[in-house]
Amino acid sequence: MSEGKALSTWLDNLLTELEGIEIRRKSSRRLRIDVEASALPALLELLRGRASYVHLSAISCVDWPDEAQFELVYHVWSYELQSLVSAHTRIPRKPGVYISVYDIYTPAAFFERDIHEMFGVFFEGSPDMSKFILTEWDGPPPMRKDFDSEAWVNAHFDFQDYNPDWLQEIIAQGGGIAIRPDEQRFSRGPEPTAKGAGNKTVDKGTDER
Amino acid sequence: MTNSKQIAKPGDELPVQPAKRTNPLANVFDELIAFAQSRSLFMLHYCTGCGAVELPPAMTSRFDMERLGIQPMVTPRQADILLVTGYVSVKTLKRVILTYEQMASPKYVIGICSCTVNGGMYWQSYATAKKLNDYLPVDMYIAGCMPRPEAVIAGLRALIENIKNREANAWQDYYRRYDHYLGNQQRLFGETWQTPTDIIAEAEHYGQIGAETRGPHTALLEQHQQPLEAQPITLSIGELQRIK
Repeated sequence: MSEGKALSTWLDNLLTELEGIEIRRKSSRRLRIDVEASALPALLELLRGRASYVHLSAISCVDWPDEAQFELVYHVWSYELQSLVSAHTRIPRKPGVYISVYDIYTPAAFFERDIHEMFGVFFEGSPDMSKFILTEWDGPPPMRKDFDSEAWVNAHFDFQDYNPDWLQEIIAQGGGIAIRPDEQRFSRGPEPTAKGAGNKTVDKGTDER
Repeated sequence: MTNSKQIAKPGDELPVQPAKRTNPLANVFDELIAFAQSRSLFMLHYCTGCGAVELPPAMTSRFDMERLGIQPMVTPRQADILLVTGYVSVKTLKRVILTYEQMASPKYVIGICSCTVNGGMYWQSYATAKKLNDYLPVDMYIAGCMPRPEAVIAGLRALIENIKNREANAWQDYYRRYDHYLGNQQRLFGETWQTPTDIIAEAEHYGQIGAETRGPHTALLEQHQQPLEAQPITLSIGELQRIK
């Protein structure tokens, strides 16, 4: 334990020597590093080669549309220090191109392919940037914040009617569904007559119960 | 638990109930067949979502579906019931439709969980289909998130009752209103959507051609349809020797 503490102190000291990065120690086993996009591969190479952070747990991506930036977070884990370093970097949202770290961490290919599919960030040097899970999807990258999922759903799907005929039988038996008018959803625009009638009967059903 | 067989818009042609035959012996025979069908159901459970968790207790000794004559089956060709347990993503929906079309009639579809009814908690998701009965004729919905095995068995008993009374005719609806179902499938999958099954020929075979079997959507399908070709199966001598 004391040895691990000594090592993490040593790492803190080492990293403070570097210029252009900002370190924040979140806890004894978590370290956050903010780094320029150009310096990130070098930092990861240092962490992997010199500081035993051999395991790339994940690469996550955050969309910041107001600042026109993507934030990429590289989570690396050390089995010896039992600690996690999160390296944050920001890249411009347009054209959204960054360099792959596949040559440093092989599993990065998997995460980069996923981010390319979900956010549209292209990683130069990554071995495969083809479709991964959304093989039959030809819309915009769906995890971007300017993708309106609800509008897409309304354009492509219908919801069940709120007052179908078969529900009347169930209401007559004392059952029924109570959905508040502001929570009701209509795909192809609200139907005023059906909606009004539906509310009445549904309220009646719940009152009786 | 809701019964979707009554979901029909005003003006729709209601499915014709088979009239009782005049010969009493034939009547007995029809009822015997219906009873036998209702008591020997092979179930293909397409476990798409979390609702599948409720099936092992429903099938095994605790609730024991087999006492009702319901058994799991391995292939769609031999199954009677298609059980869709949980949310159906757009990609999965294609496979569910292919599976359904491979089954031999009469066939029944049960949608389990809120997700098959209306998208459930994924109502806002771009990847999840909302209304299963837009794409397939659903005989029975078992709502709940997730429904307990008691609810699953209650739903299956209701289906058994419907089959015995010859009221579970949703499979005929797929042939009679194929244009409607195909239209919804094309809306989601694009105009070039095609399955290997020739539904219109099957509808002719079962005598189920209705006014809405053919329509603008089937015409579109015929435009884009690629002729089906048998997959070549070859086995060279060299391979055989290598296997040895």
